[in-house]
Amino acid sequence: MATVRIPTPLRKYTQGQEEVTVDGGTVRELLANLEQSSPGIRERICDDAGNVRRFVNIFVGDEDIRYLDNLNTAVKPDSEISIIPAIAGGHTA
Amino acid sequence: MIPEPRIQSPPDGGAIDAAAVARTQFVVLGAGGLGCPALLGLVAAGARRVTLVDDDVVDASNLQRQVLYETADVGMAKTLAAESQLRLRARDLRLTQVRRRLDARGLAELLEDVDPAATVLLECSDDPGLKFAANDLGLARGIPTVIAGVQRWRGQIIAVVRGAACYRCLYEAPPPAELAPACSAVGIIGAAAGLFGHWMALLAVRLASARADVRGELAGSLHALDLRDMRVQTLRPRPRPGCPACAGEGPELDVSTARCAAR
Ligand SMILES: [Zn+2]
Repeated sequence: MATVRIPTPLRKYTQGQEEVTVDGGTVRELLANLEQSSPGIRERICDDAGNVRRFVNIFVGDEDIRYLDNLNTAVKPDSEISIIPAIAGGHTA
Repeated sequence: MIPEPRIQSPPDGGAIDAAAVARTQFVVLGAGGLGCPALLGLVAAGARRVTLVDDDVVDASNLQRQVLYETADVGMAKTLAAESQLRLRARDLRLTQVRRRLDARGLAELLEDVDPAATVLLECSDDPGLKFAANDLGLARGIPTVIAGVQRWRGQIIAVVRGAACYRCLYEAPPPAELAPACSAVGIIGAAAGLFGHWMALLAVRLASARADVRGELAGSLHALDLRDMRVQTLRPRPRPGCPACAGEGPELDVSTARCAAR
């Protein structure tokens, strides 16, 4: 099973876990299975049309999936997938 | 009598050119959690020309991370309190206070007359839209730009120069208001802001020191760090085909941006 690194704002969906292991042959399958184990997480990553949101990036290893096969990018059991949303803060309380 | 700091280039080949740093106009957007440590780092490294943009006043709740301020500053304009404090460290500092909240149009106006070859922009605000505007305008005007953000224990930082992948190559748009976490609810660990603010200062003085043709080596990588596990993720996005910022199009000037209402 591939390892998915969960960013801090989404850990509320994974009971606080920083990493989860998920089955799936592609990023799309993996996100579907992640939604099964962590309900609610997928809509934070993908929009209603199922595309990755524009302020979120998904990396398989060091590669941005937008430059691979996007959601159809193949995932191996030893792959590490990172979900990296933009951080916007800096100034406030 | 306060001794003037003696800035020396480090022995490793002189990554920092003190004369270039002293000549450079550093434009700092935001005098808060990131801006305060960035300003300390800049001035300690020899920066003497600073434009500081902030419309806020010091609040007691800021002191935990906005390290330029003290209890006596509460209620004072941040730009004024910051200038007073920084002047204690560098009497010859020339700091221009800009007491307003900028949007893309305001930033475009602010950058209209600067010399791109002698300016570095630091985006330290809490406004996601302004981070993208700084990216777009920095590229359009040829001004090296450092952008960072912090939330709780983690942050991200990237230097943007022409020719390297930019913030908008990586993230096409800021998060919409309904999905951006309320800043007051999220909070910032003071030390995380301190680390990223000084990191911004380091990148900014290195950009000021580097010849234009090698600045690209400092740019184009986004570093993400969570202070709880101290694991740095370095993303090296490719320049995105069709990226409007890399094409020099500049920001859309009339789009209202998502920002935290809570301050
Ligand atoms: Zn770009």
